[in-house]
Amino acid sequence: MPDVAGDPAALERLRVQRNRLADRIRPPWWYLPGAAIAWAAAFSGPFTLRYLPRVDYWATGLAQLAVWCLLQWGLTRVTGVKVGPRPLRVLRDGLFYYRPGRPALIAILVVSLAAGEIEFLLLRQGLFAAAVVVAVVAVATEVALQRAWLREIRQDLRNGGGAA
Amino acid sequence: MTDDVTAKPDPLIHPITRLSICGLLAAGADWVEFAALRDAAGISDSVLSKQSRVLEEAGYVEVRKGAVGRRPRTWFRLSAEGRRAVQGHLAWLAQLEQAVTAGTREVQQARPVTGDRNQPRRVPPPLLGST
Repeated sequence: MPDVAGDPAALERLRVQRNRLADRIRPPWWYLPGAAIAWAAAFSGPFTLRYLPRVDYWATGLAQLAVWCLLQWGLTRVTGVKVGPRPLRVLRDGLFYYRPGRPALIAILVVSLAAGEIEFLLLRQGLFAAAVVVAVVAVATEVALQRAWLREIRQDLRNGGGAA
Repeated sequence: MTDDVTAKPDPLIHPITRLSICGLLAAGADWVEFAALRDAAGISDSVLSKQSRVLEEAGYVEVRKGAVGRRPRTWFRLSAEGRRAVQGHLAWLAQLEQAVTAGTREVQQARPVTGDRNQPRRVPPPLLGST
């Protein structure tokens, strides 16, 4: 029977197919600029709080979340593969239930919390320029980490690392 | 894969097309669209439709149908039962691969010096890459 995986060559064939699937997960041209805009909105939060108190801080946070969801939706539509943590599963199983790309995702969260906190401290000290520099560096770092996150997901798909 | 997976063959996943579909769905993606799965597996639309229906009826694969604009789209993902079965089957295949590789190595090591007419026939090295 030619259609039977009776030999271990089936695994080699599966590796090739997984490579093909992983290769689909390449961000389109608008993905990283979109991510940069979303992160710029996030790291402008401390400035908004201090200098524009009339602007709703939580509204900008929600806008950032909406941009993030839009980016993920667009990526799914372009690639045909849904990757990354799903919002409902996150509520049920926690943020880190999704295994592929987990280290990069943790790094994204750590950088966002640390950079936000440093910005608050610098602005409280009146060091506006230093806070701007931190924000710019944080945006660049987050975009690079987001790229790394997709790369890790691709790698995990190749290895079947997300299988459990 | 987790350590509590029992390595055993699953006759439903055994045919290579179904193994491809399940193996791709188990790689780490949540939902995979019909065209993406078809292209990655290198199979035709009709084969994917037929085999995915078999897997869906067995409860191994969940199917979701939707549309983007006017274009219908079908998405697949492994069910929990399907994931367990695939992991067990892949673990069994990995054991098989190891056994074949080890067997080939033993035969190669036992090979006498070149020129001996009574030497066993040379066994080609395994084609599989080990991971």
